[in-house]
Amino acid sequence: MNDTDLKYLWKTGNEQIAIGQTSDKTNLDNLTKRNVSHFISSMKPIKIFTLFVGMFWVFGLGYVLIKLTINAYEQVSPYFLYSAYFQLMLTGLAVILYIFQLSTLYRIDFDKPVIILQKTLINLKVSTLNITRILMLQLPFWTTFYWNESMFKNGTLALFIIQGTVTLSFTYLAIWLYFNLTFENADKWWFKILLQGKEWEPLMTSIDILNDMEEEVALEKD
Amino acid sequence: MAKQNLHQTFHEIIERHKGLLFKVARTYCGNEEDRQDLIQEIRIQIWKSLPKYDAHFAMTTWLYRISINVAISYYRKNNNRTYFPVAEKLPTVFDPLPNDLQDKFNLLEQFIVELNEMDKALIMLYLEDKSYQEISEIMGITISNVGTKMGRIKEKLKKRFLNHKEN
Repeated sequence: MNDTDLKYLWKTGNEQIAIGQTSDKTNLDNLTKRNVSHFISSMKPIKIFTLFVGMFWVFGLGYVLIKLTINAYEQVSPYFLYSAYFQLMLTGLAVILYIFQLSTLYRIDFDKPVIILQKTLINLKVSTLNITRILMLQLPFWTTFYWNESMFKNGTLALFIIQGTVTLSFTYLAIWLYFNLTFENADKWWFKILLQGKEWEPLMTSIDILNDMEEEVALEKD
Repeated sequence: MAKQNLHQTFHEIIERHKGLLFKVARTYCGNEEDRQDLIQEIRIQIWKSLPKYDAHFAMTTWLYRISINVAISYYRKNNNRTYFPVAEKLPTVFDPLPNDLQDKFNLLEQFIVELNEMDKALIMLYLEDKSYQEISEIMGITISNVGTKMGRIKEKLKKRFLNHKEN
């Protein structure tokens, strides 16, 4: 079958099908009332919700910490204060990345060339991975905020060993995850546990598309 | 563009190019419900993008860009449920094609279903008689890249038809 035959086949087949279609559905008001599940729109609510929760946490905790620092610095455990500040800083960074993500989401132009737009959409999803990596760095600070002076003065060897092991393990885990939570490890079981469900499927699809794009780049070079 | 004009232009575009939207939807969606959903999403995106339309671009190039971008995103989101066997695929046709032609058309559609989302767009644009230059503008890849990829797709397609004939 040559090119002309193929094009004829495509044209004829589609013409026949089109005859059976009723197509006078151009009223936009009616269209928007129907159950439209646009994927971009579907990404917005969860991001907006997460952003609000994150901002509430950052501003709320920030307010409390600043108050404590100004009014009760001597009374508050420095371990609690600095652990909370580090946690706050990392959450704040994640919130900033979320704001950037949302602003990109609202500025997306669907009339851009296909490859360019698809790449933007994929990069948006990939940035979710980066936010997760940053948030993982918080892990050790959840094991230090309850430390206090008396624990060090009166603690037993067993306590030091247990506490030391927990904190060092969480620190190692946080750093390890920060460097290993990448696409190269997307097929590993621990990666799937961390990013399963709704986060996981789009990421897996993104990998396929990225592979396709790498193929495009390779072809360009040839 | 005044809002009234915008509405009118939008309706004219949709009416004039409904075939384009339908073909894109058919290339990416297996069942009628998904197809209608996708066509709606494409229409909504056209409506949103219309105020920014640059008349220097050909209308069909602009429409194909929007339609394919929305379709690929939709396809990725619904990938699991959009795959379909050929038997379920064709709606009732009022004036059916001759059997031989219908078989070939089914085979062509089944072949397109099995391609990845970028190749689906390429073969559809090719079958729509778009030049490599136009395909390159729509897809955002070079003309030589279009040529290389199309060569590969056509080779696969030829093999498919040949195997079908032998069986």
